[in-house]
Amino acid sequence: MTDLSKMRDALLSGDANTVVSLTNAALAEGVSPSELVNKHMVPALDEAGSKFEANEIFVPELLLIARAMKAGLQIIRPLLAQSGAEPVGRVAIGTVKGDLHDIGKNLVASMLEGGGFEVIDLGVDVAPDKFLAAIKEKRVNLIALSALLTTTMPFIKAVIDALKEAGLRDQVKVMIGGAPVTQDFANEVGADGYSDNANGAVGLARRLVA
Amino acid sequence: MPVFPLAGKRLKLISCEIFHREMCAAVAQAARPVDIEFLPKGLHDIGQQAMVQRLQEAVDRVNADRYDTILLGYALCNNGICGLTARSLPIVIPRAHDCITLFLGSHARYLDYFNDHPGTYFLTTGWLERGGDLGELQQLSIPHQMGMDLSFDELVARYGEDNARYLYDQLCDTLRNYGRYAWIEMGVEPDGSFENHARQAAADRGWSFEKIHGDMSLIRRLIDGPWNEREFLLLPPGQHVAPSHNDSLIRAEP
Repeated sequence: MTDLSKMRDALLSGDANTVVSLTNAALAEGVSPSELVNKHMVPALDEAGSKFEANEIFVPELLLIARAMKAGLQIIRPLLAQSGAEPVGRVAIGTVKGDLHDIGKNLVASMLEGGGFEVIDLGVDVAPDKFLAAIKEKRVNLIALSALLTTTMPFIKAVIDALKEAGLRDQVKVMIGGAPVTQDFANEVGADGYSDNANGAVGLARRLVA
Repeated sequence: MPVFPLAGKRLKLISCEIFHREMCAAVAQAARPVDIEFLPKGLHDIGQQAMVQRLQEAVDRVNADRYDTILLGYALCNNGICGLTARSLPIVIPRAHDCITLFLGSHARYLDYFNDHPGTYFLTTGWLERGGDLGELQQLSIPHQMGMDLSFDELVARYGEDNARYLYDQLCDTLRNYGRYAWIEMGVEPDGSFENHARQAAADRGWSFEKIHGDMSLIRRLIDGPWNEREFLLLPPGQHVAPSHNDSLIRAEP
């Protein structure tokens, strides 16, 4: 039998190769995809998140952990889909129009994916109508917006306003982030939540879709 | 000792050194005497609280007996001026997102250019001669704390080659989505050497290059006035700067 306690160690050390081999071995032995994810992988990612918030690990380590998680999930996700298991939520994420800074957005996307979300990454410089299309076409129930510059922050509001105009605001939750973004700003523009870090974003996303 | 009519109170300019040549040029021709304190470029990299603390210390150093108004050579700078408090002297602050507004002469002109050309990295004399090295701020900078300033070799030593390549792409190549250098000529350059450096930088990265004519008028109005409410916040004594999240960008808060 594959020793799945090694999965935690492999994830926490960002060892994508070992995560992949453990995943393949466990699946071959008949471990169910959902058990593998929910009992062995998501808890490890949550542990990484706690270590990150406690300044025991830092952004590079978190990126590597999220990458390792993603490597395992790439194998597992098609199996989960076959079994009819629904993701925790479907999130469309992107940097707003005019903003090309995606380091934080990519980290949040990876962490959300590791946290059980289906992530539709719309990339950078995303115009409001692309978010609207994702809601209609991909059954998205959460939108995550990032702006790194005060110059592009107004486009966060533009997306929320576009959702209202299209009559879609009630169908989705909106979470926002980025260096100059604050909780005050989130309140002002009517976002449902704000997080100042990637781990907090996962907890926030789970609360918003619960 | 004769008393000269112009020897009254002075203006104090506290400015980011990114404006060094422009501020010196404007102050040289100023209507009133202006003393300048330049602070190091890169305060916006050390986080909002640390930045505003440095600015507040500079404001608090100003001798109120010698000056009647403080001029701030800063923009909103990613909220880095938020919380700055005027003590006994008023502070005049340009309504601008960042230094590029001051180089281009107006908020509207900057936004037009920005919206038409996302992914532009702007260069001026200040950015070319003072933009690279953060000096003592390096260790304090957010990019440093996040591991974003590590070289590829340092990443390999810490995380192994495969991980290093991934981290370098994901974390350290912060300009990977940029594609254009815009050289802003302000009229303070000694010769064509700065422009040549800017052109070379674009060629080295394979980016497009555009030369833009800067506009000293907003910087001159900061130094000389009039400080109209549309372009400047006049922060009264006892109040502090807050973001307004609208076109006015900043407001005074008691």
